[in-house]
Formats: sequence, structure tokens, C-alpha cells
Amino acid sequence: MLLSRNIRLAVSSLRSSKWRSYLTMLGIIIGVASVVVTVSIGEGVKKQVVKQINELGPELITVRPGTTVQRDENGNIVGVNLLAGINPGSFSEKEWTAITETSGVQSTSPLNVVSGVPRYQDKTMPNSIVVGTTDNFAALIGQELDYGAFFSDNDKNENTVVIGKRVADELFGELAPIGKSIQVRGHTLIVKGIFKQFPSTPLVASNDYNSTIFMPYEVSKKVSSGQVQIYQILAKAKDEKTANSAAANIRSNLTKLHGGEEDFTVLKQDENLAVVSNMLNLLTAFIAGVAAISLLVGGIGVMNIMLVLVSERTREIGVRKAVGATNKQILTQFLVESSVLCVVGGLLGIILSVIANYLIRVFTDLQPVITIPIILISVGIALIVGIIFGTTPAVIAARKDPIESLRYE
Amino acid sequence: MPVIELKDVSKLYGFGDATTVALDEVNFSVEKGEFVAIMGPSGSGKSTLLNIIGLLDKPTHGTYDLGGRRVERMRANRRSKIRRDTIGFIFQSFNLLPRLNVLENVALPLAYKGKTQTKRLKQAGAILEEVGLADREYFMPKQLSGGQTQRVAIARALVNNPKIIIADEPTGNLDSASSLVIMELLDKIHRDGNTILMVTHNPELTKYASRVVFMHDGSIVADEMSKFGEIPGFIKRRMYSVKIKTQEDKLKGVSAVMKAIPDKNTKNDDSSNKKQKKPIKKYKRKNKAKK
Repeated sequence: MLLSRNIRLAVSSLRSSKWRSYLTMLGIIIGVASVVVTVSIGEGVKKQVVKQINELGPELITVRPGTTVQRDENGNIVGVNLLAGINPGSFSEKEWTAITETSGVQSTSPLNVVSGVPRYQDKTMPNSIVVGTTDNFAALIGQELDYGAFFSDNDKNENTVVIGKRVADELFGELAPIGKSIQVRGHTLIVKGIFKQFPSTPLVASNDYNSTIFMPYEVSKKVSSGQVQIYQILAKAKDEKTANSAAANIRSNLTKLHGGEEDFTVLKQDENLAVVSNMLNLLTAFIAGVAAISLLVGGIGVMNIMLVLVSERTREIGVRKAVGATNKQILTQFLVESSVLCVVGGLLGIILSVIANYLIRVFTDLQPVITIPIILISVGIALIVGIIFGTTPAVIAARKDPIESLRYE
Repeated sequence: MPVIELKDVSKLYGFGDATTVALDEVNFSVEKGEFVAIMGPSGSGKSTLLNIIGLLDKPTHGTYDLGGRRVERMRANRRSKIRRDTIGFIFQSFNLLPRLNVLENVALPLAYKGKTQTKRLKQAGAILEEVGLADREYFMPKQLSGGQTQRVAIARALVNNPKIIIADEPTGNLDSASSLVIMELLDKIHRDGNTILMVTHNPELTKYASRVVFMHDGSIVADEMSKFGEIPGFIKRRMYSVKIKTQEDKLKGVSAVMKAIPDKNTKNDDSSNKKQKKPIKKYKRKNKAKK
């Protein structure tokens, strides 16, 4: 009862000096909006990645050079090494053969990086990736083509390429540039097919197949003058049940091959998921933490204005005390006021972030997602900021001497 | 039994050499239904006395019984509650809250009591009708004249049915016509059986009081019952015919006036000097005892 009265009082007090209230709220609005936007972008990216990984199927095993994860004796992931992606090295054909011969593995497909920038007439695409892979790649990852066909066993020595959607768009500027030719390291390759849009995974550049140019493995060796740099080997287990044992076998075989050193990472799809979401969570938390600093600054602004308000209303405090308000009641009044200020700011911040997210969806590939927990948490944080930064001014108000307050001009 | 009973109440400000005595062992009691006017020059301790009686301040020494309860050493929280339930304040500068309308202002003490809004506003409306402002319920304070504002403040003081009403120069900011209205209203409240303590600088207003007290240098120097409509004799002498006998008296200024008041003269000057020093000594002694 008293709370609702206090809230009404606080709202009328905030409305009595609108500009000041808005400016004070601005700090909270920006703080909450930036936190909500970063968290929702992280959430959106995670959703996209999860979708992509799930589409690949549970029996797919990914083998990469470099130690991305730490495992305990039972093979459970206990930690993720974020820096492993910087200089992972590469596999050679040795490892590929070893994995192919591992029991439980049905088929494999390497991704051999060709260092070169594709050129079409006078246009280049420096942010694309050129890889060589085997003809079973498309089937392995279960991706269909929009136009044309993936190279088969028959044309594994032909100079053909299959390209991602974005390559078609950026390099050729058309939907289906089939039959057109591109130049890579002085070799001319003819476009044979265009993949359907892969579920795009922003922030994880190495996985963006939309801007990748695929050529037959043998051709890629020729193009890069015999050099082999396999950055990922995909292996498919016979079925979902054997995936675990197949992954374990790959691990032991490769460890043997590398002289007992486990300088590679074998990930099943579910583990892949765990690693990616772990990384994304960390990244999101970090950015959101930076954004939260603006919330802190906003909170200081609230505290500042509450101090002004308390001294401005010294006389009112005196009158209220004279007619029988206890210190606690005065404290509550001002605490409610700062909380209302922050919560209203928080709500406006959420509205702002919804608008910002809409713009992000329109102008970028990111698909931020605002969930109910994000809204509740951000309103909660705003409330906490209001209480934390409102406490000192409220205590000052509550401790004022009634006689001096009544004399205050 | 008196409503208010102060025994040997002193109030000191400051420490050591800078100690000033605001109240000097005052003994003062008020019976139920009295209308006490307190007069005296500025700095004589009237406001300090009212603040202590109104539980806004604590006495340094002495005891205070309000309605049979010892209150002088109570904690702030309980004092607030006693203020809320038993004391109504009327101020010189009205002190209505500018952001609340008239009705909400009057209902303010009830809000802190935790009454529901409908009950509060109903009760406040009834009191407003009593002070003749039923048609101003939804006005804001700044839309009222000075006299009306003070009547709202009186309604606020009355709304929780207080045992005592404390008015600190209620007509100080008003013209004489409005003052008259306010005093008639206070008189009516008095005749309804309320106890009123009023500080005033205007001797004319003591006509309404049933008892007049004169303070000087922190002591009560005169205390007389008076009939309605009459200004007590000592106030008249004090205000209208101060006899200055010698040049020395003239230099002393106000104290010369005090000498003119007979019962202060019966106690000789030495005793009054002693009185002033006594509390300081007491204070020092206490400090030593602590060491």
C-alpha cells in the first residue's frame, strides 16, 4: 500500500522536472540498451551456430590441428583454449590416411587450404577461402546445391570449382555464374555449381562456407604446387552409436602417429557445439561487461541527481518528519524514487535495443534475439543499479535533522 | 495530570567555552485544554522550548513527560511515531508540500499511520470542511492565499486528533485580516477542547490565550493566566511602557526590560547570574566523571 503510494509520488516527482529526469535516465537507457544488444547478438549468433551444427548430423567428427580443448582422463571437455585458433598448423596426407583407415569411420573428407585470391576478370575477393576437398564433401555435410552439381569421381582432376552463395554474389555479381571461369594462382577454373545458402555463422570466419571456393583435392594440390595444408578433416562414423568409439579411435591413432603428442583436436558434433557456445558465451560476457560500465556511469549520474534532489527537498523532508514520518519511511521514499528512475530508464533502454536490433537485422548478417530472460535480467539490473546508487542519497535524506530541515531555505 | 510536564529542562549548544545556553533549567507544565501563548525576544529560547515539546529536539538535561510518558530519551523512530499520533504542527511559513494538492497535504500524517487512501481522503475532507475550505480540496497550495494556506496547515495539524497543537508564529507571514481569521479559527479549536501552544511576537494575539508565558535568556520569567480578550498586564507594560531609569539600563537594552517585570526582580540579579553558569558547570562535571 505504502509502496504504491511511494511509486506514485516518485513518478510525480520525476515528472515535475522532466528534462532532468530524461537526461539522468539517458545514462541508464544507453547502459541497458548496450548490454541488451550485445547479449542478444551473442544469443542470436549462438542460435545460428547451433542450427548449423545440428544440420550436419550427430555422426560427423571434426579433426583439426592444434589443441582447442582440454580433456580429463575420461575424454570429457574441461576447458576451452581460445588462443589455439591463432596458429593451429596443418595436417598432411598422413593424418588423412590414418583417419580413413580407423575402424568405425565410414568416409572422410579433408579441407586443403589453397593460399590464393580468386580473380574474375578484374575483380578479386580477398576475404574468400579457397579449399580443395574430395567429391564426398557435399554428401558428408548434407548440403544441397542451388545450381549445377558438385564434382564427382569422374571430374576429380578437372579444373572445376563449386562456390558458395556469397562468392557468386560478390565476385560475379550474379545468381548462377555457371560456366564462368576464375583465376587462382594462375590456374583457370570453371564454376560447376553453386551451393545453397549455408546457415551463416558470423564471428567464426573459418567456417563460413558461403564465401568459400571448393575445388577437387587433386586440383588443389596442383594449384598450390604440391603443397598440402589440411586445416580440417571431416570423418563420418557408420552411425550415431559408433561415433563415440570412432572418435576415440581417431584420437589414439593420431596420437600414435604424432609420437604420443596430442597436438590436434577431435570433436564430435555435440562437443563442437559445446566448444562454440562456450567461446561465444565468453565473448558475449566480455563485451556485455564492457557495456555494463556505461550502466555504472549511468548509475553515478542517478546518484548525483538524487543528491541534488535530496538537498532541494530538505524542507519537504523536514515537514514530513514533523508530521510523523520515520527515518525508514523517508529512506523508502527516496529509494523508491531512484529505483523508479532506473527501472523506467531500463524499460526505455529495452525499447531502444529492440529498435537497434531491428536495424542490425536489416543492415547486417547478424540476427540478434531478445529473449524474455534477457529483458527480465536487464530490468532487474536497472533496479539493482537504482537501489545501489540510491542508497547513499536516501540515507542522507533519512538522517537529516528535522529542525534544520524546516529552517532550510 | 498535566499533558506536558517539563522538569529542569536545559538545552546547551556547542562545547567548552563556546557553549551557549538555549534553555536554562526550565520547569513548565501545561494542562489539557489550555491555550498557551509564549512570548519573548528572539534568542530567548521559545523555539527551542517548542522543538523540545514537539519532540523535534532532545533536551540536554531534565525530564519531559508527554501525556504521562517519559519521552526525553526516546529513539528517533518512536519519537516520529509519537509526533505522528499526538502532536500537530503549524508553522510560520505554512510548509505545505507544493507537489501535493490540498487534500493530500491534509492527509499526509494519516499516510504515515498506514491508513488506506479512501479513509485518509475522507477524513481529510471532513477536517477541511471544519476549517471552511471544503471547496478548495483539489487546489494546489500555490493557488491559495496566505490565509487559506495556513488554514490548510491547521487542518493538517488537526487531522490525526493530536493531544497538543504547536503553532510557531502562525500569523507571522499574514496580513492583519488573515491573522484575525486564523486566530478565530485557533480559538474555535481551543474551545473544542484542544491544547494549543503558540509562539507569537504580537502582543495583541495574547488576547486569545488562556495563559501567557514570557521567556528571556532561556528562562521563563513570567507565567500568568489571562482572561479571553485581555492582554495580561505584564505584557502591556513590556510592550508599551518600558521604563528606562539609568543610562546603564539603556545600554543593557533588553535586560532593562526584564528588570521592569516584578517577579523577576524579587529574585535578585545574583541568582540569575548563577543560573546561567550552573549548567555549564554541570556539563564539565559530567565530562570529568566520564574520564
